[in-house]
Amino acid sequence: MRQRVKVLLLILVPFVVLFFSLSLGSTGYVGISDLAHYTWVAVQGLFGNELARATTDIETILWQVRLPRILLTFMVGAALAVSGGVLQAIFRNPIVDPFSLGISSGAAFGAALSMLIPLIPINLSAFLFGVVAVTITYFVSYAGARTSMIIMVLAGMIITGVFTAFLTVLQYLSDPYKLQAIVQWTMGNLHTASWDKVQTVFIPIIGGLLAIAAFRWKLNLLALGDQEAMAVGVNPRNIKFIIVGLATMITASAVASVGMISLFGLIVPHISRIFFGPNNQIGVFANMSIGGTFLLLIDDFSRAVMPFEIPVGVFTMILGAPLFIYLMRKNAVNWNA
Amino acid sequence: MKKLIQIHNLSFSFGKQQVLAELTADFYGEELTVILGRNGSGKSTLFNILSGMERYYKGEVLFADQSRKDIHAGQKNTLRIGFMTQFHQTTFPFTVFDVVLTGRAAFSRFAPRQVDFDLVEENLRAFQLWHLKDKPYTALSGGERQLVLLCRILVQQPDVLLLDEPTNHLDLHYQVAVMEHLKRLVQSGTTIVCVMHDPNLALLYGDRFYVMQNKKLHALQEKDPVVLLSTLEKTYHVALTDVQHNGRTLIIPKQKHL
Repeated sequence: MRQRVKVLLLILVPFVVLFFSLSLGSTGYVGISDLAHYTWVAVQGLFGNELARATTDIETILWQVRLPRILLTFMVGAALAVSGGVLQAIFRNPIVDPFSLGISSGAAFGAALSMLIPLIPINLSAFLFGVVAVTITYFVSYAGARTSMIIMVLAGMIITGVFTAFLTVLQYLSDPYKLQAIVQWTMGNLHTASWDKVQTVFIPIIGGLLAIAAFRWKLNLLALGDQEAMAVGVNPRNIKFIIVGLATMITASAVASVGMISLFGLIVPHISRIFFGPNNQIGVFANMSIGGTFLLLIDDFSRAVMPFEIPVGVFTMILGAPLFIYLMRKNAVNWNA
Repeated sequence: MKKLIQIHNLSFSFGKQQVLAELTADFYGEELTVILGRNGSGKSTLFNILSGMERYYKGEVLFADQSRKDIHAGQKNTLRIGFMTQFHQTTFPFTVFDVVLTGRAAFSRFAPRQVDFDLVEENLRAFQLWHLKDKPYTALSGGERQLVLLCRILVQQPDVLLLDEPTNHLDLHYQVAVMEHLKRLVQSGTTIVCVMHDPNLALLYGDRFYVMQNKKLHALQEKDPVVLLSTLEKTYHVALTDVQHNGRTLIIPKQKHL
């Protein structure tokens, strides 16, 4: 495929899938023409036509249940994928993902803590502890200009272990009902989506994605290594700090709103490298588009195909792992080990 | 010529092992200065200090009367210092063009501009690498990679160029091509300091020579064949004979078994 066609697909496919996803759901399938009609009515409503307010049940389901869920899913998918791609580039390590630095386990612990002792909202607590975990990881491994990427990843693994242990203690201490809520949250839940959640994550995720997109060319430089950046007169430290901070922000926001979706941030960057090569100038956008679309499709599958809803974190694992292993065995995964 | 780089009483140790001891030397502007010496003599350490990667040293290192520690990468209105190290491995198979383009990263905050693309093309063409521009960097031979990295350093149009064995991995054709190109850069005003292993290639193209020995840099009197021979014999611990060529002295090892 020519590059231009690929880029066009990158832009078009998400919209098609977004529209398609609206028609799916446990209350039943909505035909394309009906959907088009409802959309037209809703758009008129947005522009102040009082007569065109959503009135029917199906319209309430479309705009109050399905649309926020679809938007949230897309944003979370894009955030995890972009974050994974960014971290893989900066750490020059194709097996790093947003969770290797301790973000997820910190956030899971934070969520569990707030379910057990409800002092602050679950989302906020998850976000705060995600940031705390990452900060500890950075401080443990920080050594000025000599900060080693390998030590940072190892530190992330250790911090992940520590927070997972804390989480286990909380689970052990909590009563069965709370335990159930904690376990559900850690498995990743998109069915709790609402306009409130969309509103909460919109600014950090969209803002973070745009900021990362602005730095996309510099990612190529960082992916060559610190020495190679200094060799051409760029001090990599500040820009790395900014970009890792942005990646942490979007990951923690995603995890805080829908729980843990494992493997996703690891796999999607590999898929987009297969189609678009390692150049981060296009890779950042590819990750947004493929990440959002892919998570949406997985969620569609769990909404429409299965008779009951299975947490999306389970699905990304079950669907993602074989796909990834297949690509890996085919040696199509674009990196040089 | 002006003294551009001044090193005064430079000492450096790895733990208890001293690598450089009160080294003093001056490198002149718009010249190709060559540093020779045996493996492990401290050339690369000196190189790391000059390039700014190693900052924990004693003594003074001045670039145009400004301490090396005060010259920060990416700062405007200061000397632009580019350097090329010996080994480089990338994880991701960026295209040659993209790798060279990152050499312009200091010049724009976000996306590259047209002038950046033009400079990349100009430099790739100058080294006859243009046909490789869309190839993955990781698929190149060692010599081609070396040239691509050199291009990458050159697109930032540095005032000072520090090179650690730039002809390493290159076949004779490319060795000559690189040295000729460096010579042209010097003529157009660039200052080059180069660590080299091949004394003859150095003697053919260099303007000024130093030998690293006993943790110090010693100026090499290349004009006098007798002094040159004895200094290099002491440095490399090999018996040598001289060959005269176009007013320059080249060396060949004395063979023991004929």
